Amino acid sequence: MSKIVSIHSFRGGTGKSNTTANIAALLAADGARVCVVDTDINSPGIHVLFNLDETEMVHSLNDYLWGKCSIEEAAHDVTGHIGGEIKGQVFLIPSSIKAGEIARILREGYDVGLLNDGFRDVVEKLELDYLLIDTHPGLNEETLLSIAISNALVIILRPDQQDYQGTAVTVDVAKKLDVPKLLMLVNKVPNSLDPEDVRTRVEQTYGATVAAVLPHSDEMMSLASSGIFSIRFPDSAVTKGLRSLVDQLKD
Amino acid sequence: MSELLFQTALKELEERKEDIRPSDVVLFSEPLRSALNFVIRLGRFSLTEFAEKLEFTREQSEQLADILVARNLFAVSRFSNAEETFYESRLSAMTRPLSRPPSDIWKKID
Repeated sequence: MSKIVSIHSFRGGTGKSNTTANIAALLAADGARVCVVDTDINSPGIHVLFNLDETEMVHSLNDYLWGKCSIEEAAHDVTGHIGGEIKGQVFLIPSSIKAGEIARILREGYDVGLLNDGFRDVVEKLELDYLLIDTHPGLNEETLLSIAISNALVIILRPDQQDYQGTAVTVDVAKKLDVPKLLMLVNKVPNSLDPEDVRTRVEQTYGATVAAVLPHSDEMMSLASSGIFSIRFPDSAVTKGLRSLVDQLKD
Repeated sequence: MSELLFQTALKELEERKEDIRPSDVVLFSEPLRSALNFVIRLGRFSLTEFAEKLEFTREQSEQLADILVARNLFAVSRFSNAEETFYESRLSAMTRPLSRPPSDIWKKID
């Protein structure tokens, strides 16, 4: 049975897109058919991680929302862009990076119900094992929709006071939406903090499972979204944490 | 107790004059909220499943479903038959368009 997984954070810069791309690659490496949807229409970026150039984008999520194409026509097969040994397949539905198109969709608005329809259609049409939704930070109708239809929600936070406070709001909403599986991911943790202390604190604060505590990584910073970290650095502590997250999503 | 809960759910839905948005579902009382979360996640479901989740009678559940159809959260599915009504859930909402800033920046971006 297909699973819809939303990756969300209350604030920006927590590592949603990187985490989403890595989850997709690790699932596909194990043989799954995965599609990633970039619903961060205001500030799209995950296509960079998959080395999908603007010139290669035949259609985008924006085109689908404007009725110019079907949802599956906006899905680009990026399996060959990932590197490593991938037994499955990864598709990406990117959001447009063209300033005029971003401005247009912000100016006109759109019906999030079309996202609802698109998510269900693409799961069926591409025979997906997983649909991963890379969400816009913070709470709005689109992110609430994504959470409402998801079988699992990954909430990412950094060990930062602003993140801690905002995440409480997101967790509260997620519980009100009865998400079947709620996993926390604490990212960019400095070496000065004990990961197990961080895990315990977050689990006690939010009453939710911490799937992984990922250390700050100079390698990740140096990679600078030019590729998929877990493929480039398969033995890193960060990759180990991401694998643990993926294993818990599979359960 | 069940009758009181049903009347509360009925009142909440009848008072709504607009289509139900994702942000509305979060605010509904129990058992309506949990039942809606369940069927929205299913996508396609039967009246029987909806009633079981609500723990209301079939007639009460159908009364609520009729309002939810009118509010465009549910649509009666083509799979419905004489024995069972099936529905499809569709959460929708218009995003809030940004208003035109005085400097007419949209024209410059276009």
